[in-house]
Amino acid sequence: MKIKVEQLDDYRWLIPQTGAMRVPGLVFADSDLMKSIQDDQSLTQVANVATLPGIVGHSLAMPDIHWGYGFPIGGVAAFDLDKGIVSPGGVGYDINCGCRLITTVLRADEIRPLIKEMVSALFKNIPSGVGSTGTVHLSKSKETEVAVKGAAWAVKMGFGTAEDLERTEDRGAMEGADPSVLSERAIKRGQNQLGTLGSGNHFLEIQVVDQIYDKEKASHFNLFEGQVTIFIHSGSRGFGHQICDDFLKMMIKSDANGQKSFLLPDRQLACAPLQSDLARRYLAGMACAANYAWANRQILMHLTIETLLKTLSIRPEELGMKLLYDVCHNIAKKEQHLIDGEQVMLCVHRKGATRALPPGHALLPEVYRTVGQPVLIPGDMGTNSYILVGAEGAMEHSFGSCCHGAGRLLSRTKAVKKAKGRAIHRELEDKGIFVQSRGKRTLKEEMPEAYKDVSQVVDVVHGAGLARKVARLRPLGVIKG
Amino acid sequence: MDSSSTPFTFLDHTADLGITVTGSDLRDLFERAAHSMMQIMIEERPAGKTSSLQLSVNGEDYADLMVRWLGEILYLFQGEGKVVTCTEISSITQSHINSTLQTVPFNPKQHEVLAEIKAVTYHRIEVVCENGRWKATIIFDL
Repeated sequence: MKIKVEQLDDYRWLIPQTGAMRVPGLVFADSDLMKSIQDDQSLTQVANVATLPGIVGHSLAMPDIHWGYGFPIGGVAAFDLDKGIVSPGGVGYDINCGCRLITTVLRADEIRPLIKEMVSALFKNIPSGVGSTGTVHLSKSKETEVAVKGAAWAVKMGFGTAEDLERTEDRGAMEGADPSVLSERAIKRGQNQLGTLGSGNHFLEIQVVDQIYDKEKASHFNLFEGQVTIFIHSGSRGFGHQICDDFLKMMIKSDANGQKSFLLPDRQLACAPLQSDLARRYLAGMACAANYAWANRQILMHLTIETLLKTLSIRPEELGMKLLYDVCHNIAKKEQHLIDGEQVMLCVHRKGATRALPPGHALLPEVYRTVGQPVLIPGDMGTNSYILVGAEGAMEHSFGSCCHGAGRLLSRTKAVKKAKGRAIHRELEDKGIFVQSRGKRTLKEEMPEAYKDVSQVVDVVHGAGLARKVARLRPLGVIKG
Repeated sequence: MDSSSTPFTFLDHTADLGITVTGSDLRDLFERAAHSMMQIMIEERPAGKTSSLQLSVNGEDYADLMVRWLGEILYLFQGEGKVVTCTEISSITQSHINSTLQTVPFNPKQHEVLAEIKAVTYHRIEVVCENGRWKATIIFDL
């Protein structure tokens, strides 16, 4: 189905409200990105989301939007708490998939000869790949504690400091987590995956700050040109996948039992009214997975610090690793937003979208209250990543949200076809990027041409006023699952 | 399941992975779909001591049954570390499957993992009979 779009300005496109849509769609993109967006089914998915009950404002899409399942990836939608719904497909299987950026006091020119050694050591010490298990094995009672306390549990166990919590979205623990709603399968799958990176597009990257756009904000974030940073992208692993799967199936069954009064355009959009017990239980389970993911990234950071200290044979103060921020980009959250001049509590779904709070926002930690929230936008393994800062436009236009990455351009099968006969790791090495990966096809599937140009994506959110560019990061070494 | 050939074709999906599978009847279709999913995840028929287990699955309709059937086989791999090597469906209706599965323990040293399938999704799921042949469209979350 060809979806009609109307250009509103340089960065915004309207999908007019038609058919069963309850609100219009709004896509943030420039003309060039819009061409590739129209090549797949993602705009149909934006329109599909607009048919869900209780949706408020617009069904939104960020410039990294691409075809997902149910919701588009890069989709944002907010729902009224009384008339609206929650949809596990609007959060995704990898609940609280997210990013963590760590700064160091090292300069890239000091460590350049050691990059290969650092990547090899990280690859050896940080479990990655399909079915990988971590060094932390959780009993059922400990897993319950992780699910409720999140990153704070990891800090209590010695994997980090209290300051890390201050610099993590929701202080690394979402309220309302209730492990009693979890299935035995979810508990089982969570027992041995804490402290593992995962596979696919998850990664750990050693980077250098190669350009500063906003000196004042960069200084507030302790960033300087030539500085070494570490970027971690991972989520809630099999624990989160199982929780999504369990509740999605319950909602499909509930629909089949005639408890739904509207037609779903896609079964993956199965949902429950926010006032229902099923929705309450899903949100309680989703919070458990979100907290598990924060604990996971906290442990991954600790393993990275340990590995680098040993490999570089330096003291902690010489490495100076400090968490800049940790954000999630697959989540549903109850947040207050201004609607028609009134503050209203809504359930905001972000499926492949990052929160981007502007300076002065009440939910910001003290350390970023005056400057705004650091927004972390990873590129792919061959291109740059960006640090932005949340801006007022996000509160006006996108329920405090912004893009989450570059966004895929090629399917995995197309990428593998395009990479045939090429040695992707060599091509990257020629560009000064040393990569190690576990999966046989990972490097081909994740090669740079498989993604949109992240700079273009970031320019759109900057131009649209959702977030402002602060610094650009260039990869030096990458480990992938 | 016939392991000698590729029983599916890929659909082009930007973020994830979609396939279409066909079968001469429902039983054949569901067995081929299971075989396809395992083939996407693991390159070679793994070695190891084979065990047998009974699997029964309930669904609301054919499409839901397909998602739940594949979901159970996926869980055996993800949650139990069991690689399904053979499926034999003894009975199938619109809402129920009875089957016997052969499995071997997953061994990362022996088994080449090609892709991590996180889940079998309901997005565009379809099980239809066209000109006397059954066809399924399935999209996996990677």
